Amino acid sequence: MNPQALMDGLVAGSMIGLGAVGITLTYSILRFANFAHGELISSGAYFALLVASALGALFGGMSTPIGPFSFGWAVPVAAVVAFALNGALALLIDWLLFGRLRRQSATIIIMVMASFGAALTLRSLLEFIFTSSPAYYSRSLQIANSLGGGIRATPDQLLSLLVAAILVVAIHILLTRTAIGRSMRAVSENPQLAGVVGIEVRQVIRVVWLLGAGLAAVAGVTAGVLVQIRPQMGFDLLLPLFAAAILGGIGSVPGAMLAGLIVGLSEAIAVQLVGAEWRAAIAFVILVAVLLFRPQGLFGRAE
Amino acid sequence: MAGGGDIMLSTGALVAGYERDLPIVRGVDFSVRRGELVVVLGPNGAGKSTFVKAIAGLVPIHSGAVMLDGSDVTAVPTHQKVRHGLAFVPQTENIFATLSIHDNLLVAAQILPKDRRARRVADLYAMFPDLAVKPARRAGALSGGQRQMLAVARALIVEPSVLILDEPSAGLSPKIVFEVFERLKAINATGVTIILVEQNVKAALAIADRAVILVEGQLRHEGKAAGLMDDPLIAELYLGARPHKDAHR
Amino acid sequence: MNLELIAYGAFFLTMALTYAIIALGLNVQWGQTGLFNVGIAGFVAIGAYTSALLTTPDDPNRFGGFDLPIFVGWIGGAITASIASFLIGALTIRLRADYLAIATFGVAVVVQLAALNLEPLTGGPFGVGFIPRPFAELAGNPLAFGLLNLAVLSLVVGSTYLLLERLARSPWGRVLRSVREDEQAALALGKNATKFRLQAFALGGGIMGLAGATQAHFIGFIAPENYLPILTFQVWAMLIVGGSGNNRGAILGAVLVWGIWAASAGIVSAIVPPEQQARAAALQIVMIGVALCAILLVRPRGILGEERMISRHLGKLRTPSPTANSSADRKA
Repeated sequence: MNPQALMDGLVAGSMIGLGAVGITLTYSILRFANFAHGELISSGAYFALLVASALGALFGGMSTPIGPFSFGWAVPVAAVVAFALNGALALLIDWLLFGRLRRQSATIIIMVMASFGAALTLRSLLEFIFTSSPAYYSRSLQIANSLGGGIRATPDQLLSLLVAAILVVAIHILLTRTAIGRSMRAVSENPQLAGVVGIEVRQVIRVVWLLGAGLAAVAGVTAGVLVQIRPQMGFDLLLPLFAAAILGGIGSVPGAMLAGLIVGLSEAIAVQLVGAEWRAAIAFVILVAVLLFRPQGLFGRAE
Repeated sequence: MAGGGDIMLSTGALVAGYERDLPIVRGVDFSVRRGELVVVLGPNGAGKSTFVKAIAGLVPIHSGAVMLDGSDVTAVPTHQKVRHGLAFVPQTENIFATLSIHDNLLVAAQILPKDRRARRVADLYAMFPDLAVKPARRAGALSGGQRQMLAVARALIVEPSVLILDEPSAGLSPKIVFEVFERLKAINATGVTIILVEQNVKAALAIADRAVILVEGQLRHEGKAAGLMDDPLIAELYLGARPHKDAHR
Repeated sequence: MNLELIAYGAFFLTMALTYAIIALGLNVQWGQTGLFNVGIAGFVAIGAYTSALLTTPDDPNRFGGFDLPIFVGWIGGAITASIASFLIGALTIRLRADYLAIATFGVAVVVQLAALNLEPLTGGPFGVGFIPRPFAELAGNPLAFGLLNLAVLSLVVGSTYLLLERLARSPWGRVLRSVREDEQAALALGKNATKFRLQAFALGGGIMGLAGATQAHFIGFIAPENYLPILTFQVWAMLIVGGSGNNRGAILGAVLVWGIWAASAGIVSAIVPPEQQARAAALQIVMIGVALCAILLVRPRGILGEERMISRHLGKLRTPSPTANSSADRKA
């Protein structure tokens, strides 16, 4: 076993975890599996690319790498802007599509299908605008530092772990300690009763789209910094994201993050054993195993 | 019966139901006076539950009006109704089972001004000491009677002027039903107007001031609760139609 | 000139009919049973590869082929795809409705991966060539070849259609519909409801496999990129446009959407400069995607709609719909 695989798996897993937290939130409130969530990761990455390029062009200094990292201040600033822009995009899609379907009392599966249509539309739109060739936030290369024990990591990788950890803790606190978080949990369990106690369900849905899409943007920027930006990037992550969200238990934020790490680590370990070309199948194996043995997930409640 | 300015809640020619072409409530004129405890009776499928859900905003109203303390609340969305002083306790799934007892109360208190929330939660704990024992407990772990108490406490936290309960006795043992109803009587004594939908005719009539009977979505009878138990109409509707009044659910 | 046009017409229709078979399979799963399959491309690929493996001449570079008759390949393709559908259905049908969607999505990803990487079996990225084509001996006469192939495909579509119509009217079909429309009926049937759904899902998957096999033999060559998610998407568009729950709608939708697709692809390749064609193709998908979403919103029953009326309120699951509460939002 190569200890380096653990580090790579952890980094990949933290990205999967961030995406899965977004999926689990939207899933538990909106009550359908949103197949467009992967594309929100891609769109978030491209929003940040646009903003970072604009900032770099306007203020040359912002492209100069910060300390040991590969990118300048333009990227973190762009990530924050992309968080908001991606949230706005999700709200726009909800207004155009999902909100209308909800008002028609569409069945869950119609919503899933609509999200499938939205996913393909969004992905192709990104491909149309940015072409399918990969883009990068920064061209500067990084040297991985030894962390001891045969494990090496770049400063970017370590930062991505830190960002994921901070975000998950923040979301967890938001859900458990704040009024809007309590409202979200209430709507997730019973939207009708939530209305009866005075919660405006539409408002909660808006917040959830903002949060889910915002987290997707952060996951997209992280993936863009560590690997590259492609219109397909979110689609390729979708199966691991679903596997992690279901493994963690729908609705559980810590569960989604932990399951994301499990999926990432499993992929990294399995790649050592069966070869990188089978990476995408690992998530499927995990998914099948969860559905077989513990469909409610690690932290989910049995239905 | 309709008496001037002290009408707390009324419906006029209320028609409601899930499907437009299939109204379940078919033209109900109904009113409750301030401080009254009224029980809504009727056989299964009479539309009692749909009637109160329509008042609470959970079932579409096709025509007619709902007046609350002098203002028209017919088109007010569900989540706004509680801000107008109308609290509703559904029959089933009336608490958030995955939330703690404390969070169940807090989530309801959220519509109050910030400075009043903690006070009201403390008030409710004082009123329902059972709930204060382990406030961090998952509400889903509570017993049937305790759940009902939590649901009532949750509804009362906003100090509603009208409290509507949809079959609070469902699934409870007679002893617990007695306790819950005693509690409702006490709440009513503090000035809260109560509308109670019930299958448990005897227990409900024992605490109610007045009773109305719904049959096939229309008002069939309205009058004092006392003595209604011996009315032949009750015998016809309940004893004739279904001997086991709690067979429902 | 005219003959060429007829030959092209026959080619176009034959291709459209292979899609019509997939759409018929999807209609069994979705239209009649309400099961959502996001992995259509995977099941079609399973049928195509199985049939190719069974019927191609022996190839020293990979496992098989077995040089069996074409119809054996078609049956084999249908059976393999049906087994795959059965397995994935058995895993997820008793769970949440959208877990099936996620699992079938996974099937498509894994089948794509296997097609790419299991080179000894699938030929890897280069795919499988020399798949025997029906009436190959007539290839010198494009008109006869085209018309005969069209006849064969029409026969397959026709018999699948008749079979499905009979099934839909049989007691089995009636139970399926009641299971889909009425949660109470589904609950009352309990385990049996799951069994019926599973049978329908496996049947639909088998038909998709058959479609994949016929398509492979009609083109004569298959490769992993034939089975990308866009295929799943196209078939969904076909069924939704034609009207889910309606077998004739499935066939009509297939011909129509394939026509629009082929025409717009033709226009794109005619007017867009070569270096921009990839982008234009992306835009083509965007337009189809928008159209699908628009149909879901405006005319969810498709052109032909379902044959029988279904009640509107039954089978609806609880979704957060705060505005459905007030009467003002209720459409008359």
